[in-house]
Amino acid sequence: MKKLVLLLMVLLSVTLVSCGNTATWDSSSKITLYTRDTSSGTRAGFMSGIDYAEAAEDDSKLSAGFVTKDNTGILTSIKTDEYGIGYISLASLDDEVKGLKFNDVEPNVANVINDTYKLKRPFNYVTRALDDFENDREKEITLAFIAFLHTTDGADIITNEGAISLPSSQSWDDIKSDYDICSLDNSDITIKFGGSDSIEKIALALTAAFSPKCGNFIPEHDHTGSSDGFKRTQGTEKDSANYKHIGFASRPFKETEKGTDDTQGQLAWDAIVAIVHLDNQLDNVTAEDLKKIYRGDYGIWTDLLG
Amino acid sequence: MSSKNEWLTSLKQPLNLKKKKGLIDFVIQLIFLILTIISASFIVIIIVFIGKEGIKPFITDNGGIGNVDLIRFLTGNEWLKGTAFKSNLYSVGFAIINTLYISLLALLIAMPIGVLTALFIAKIASKKLSAIMRTIIELLAAVPSIVYGLFGSGLILVFVYNLAKIFGVQSQGGNSVLATILVLAMMILPTITALSEVAIRSVGKEIENGSLALGATKTQTNFKIVLTSAKSGIFSAAILGIGRALGEATAVSLVAGNAQSGPSLDFFKTTSTLTSIMLQGLKETVGLDYDIRFSVGLVLMAVILFSNLILNYAKKMVGNVDVK
Repeated sequence: MKKLVLLLMVLLSVTLVSCGNTATWDSSSKITLYTRDTSSGTRAGFMSGIDYAEAAEDDSKLSAGFVTKDNTGILTSIKTDEYGIGYISLASLDDEVKGLKFNDVEPNVANVINDTYKLKRPFNYVTRALDDFENDREKEITLAFIAFLHTTDGADIITNEGAISLPSSQSWDDIKSDYDICSLDNSDITIKFGGSDSIEKIALALTAAFSPKCGNFIPEHDHTGSSDGFKRTQGTEKDSANYKHIGFASRPFKETEKGTDDTQGQLAWDAIVAIVHLDNQLDNVTAEDLKKIYRGDYGIWTDLLG
Repeated sequence: MSSKNEWLTSLKQPLNLKKKKGLIDFVIQLIFLILTIISASFIVIIIVFIGKEGIKPFITDNGGIGNVDLIRFLTGNEWLKGTAFKSNLYSVGFAIINTLYISLLALLIAMPIGVLTALFIAKIASKKLSAIMRTIIELLAAVPSIVYGLFGSGLILVFVYNLAKIFGVQSQGGNSVLATILVLAMMILPTITALSEVAIRSVGKEIENGSLALGATKTQTNFKIVLTSAKSGIFSAAILGIGRALGEATAVSLVAGNAQSGPSLDFFKTTSTLTSIMLQGLKETVGLDYDIRFSVGLVLMAVILFSNLILNYAKKMVGNVDVK
């Protein structure tokens, strides 16, 4: 009997898979929310981008019945779920889902760089104050690293790691003559990196590539969160055991985090894109729309599409 | 579990052996004893480590967040109330129910299929066919859970999504109780088949022949004599199967939808198990939100222990017939 039931199920599944997508898109269907979990940096970026930061780490602020998945999980689910909406990092967007325009701006790399696409967060760096290095060699290497961030070599690494690099025109080979320190043997020098853990992967890839180019200095990574980026380079912990030479923040620096001249800057953008199924009639959303969807003010697609 | 008796005799034996047998025997038995103690002590080390970490959230104030209420933790119906890293309102009551519910249903699907497959391989199929089938089952048992998970999220989710549509239900991309049950059933099927097959094969030939001599047909013998004689071994298969189902994390978290509250009994609703909760965000989280996962692990171990005890008790009740 059970075997018979199973056989029927198998047959059913074959027919279902073969004729699954014949139904038309029905706007009176419920909206299915997909989200990352509360410890995700993408979620933090998305929620602050739609002006709903209180939901970044609090699931009870989201409309009930949401589905929690990782980046790939959301992408594959939206390919199936005609009535789902989710968000992924722009680098993972492919043409099997529809990436929604945000405030009428198409989600693509060009629009991120010219700063018209707004659903994104900056990846920033901050170094110690220039007169606050233990010795000149540490300072020179730090400055060389910052210069490397803005070269085409640095940009390639950033792009490889899924973020969007800023435009650059010079390669490291073009500018390395300006940094004499890199032609010396620096294998006795440790440079400490810290701050945002969302940037950790990129920072690791950058230092792995840059250390051999600059006398094999020893990079030491300890990424604990954006707020430690400033705190441990120029803030209250700058002279503690946790001090860093370079800190990162995956958000704009706050008013209280203004460093001394020429110590802060941006290395990349992390852009996030809201996605829906290809059959979905929605093409464009605003921050307000997304906030209402995720807060649960909009329950069915008609609420949004009218 | 007969391992308890073996354990006792292995403790006693070296002492008794002194009288008659040589020194070499004694030394070798001693080495075996030491090896056994080493392997058994891993479980103690694991329990002590998990226990130490898992109790922390309940007895310390977790860096100013406040200690977690144990009763609320075990009975609540929402994973975390309030903001992560700032709230101590964790609970897994709903996930305990989800875990048991899903594992039991997966076992219900996998049991009949697995046992009948085992019967076919052991008694009905030709020698050649059964050798091939056995290899296939062994291969299936060796497939890592992440592969089942990817298969599940690629195919089962689509299947369940479309199935729900036929029933007029809008499921959440197929992420559901049903998808989880199907993936788990698939995963524990080879375990159950392989162990049942061994149990069925070890049923004494004389019992079988006796039945046939009394005029029973081959099918009657297979069902009424062979299966009932092997029931103890089949029960062991079920115990191992449900153990795997209860503890599976990777595949489950890819198809369950990781609901944050529950319990979810509706087949097309998203769900979450103790393991999927432990796994979710594990690599990115810190502080209490990390420590609490050890507590969930403790609960999971208790659930597995408890269900094993019940099943072992049931196995004893079922009894045993001449199985070698």
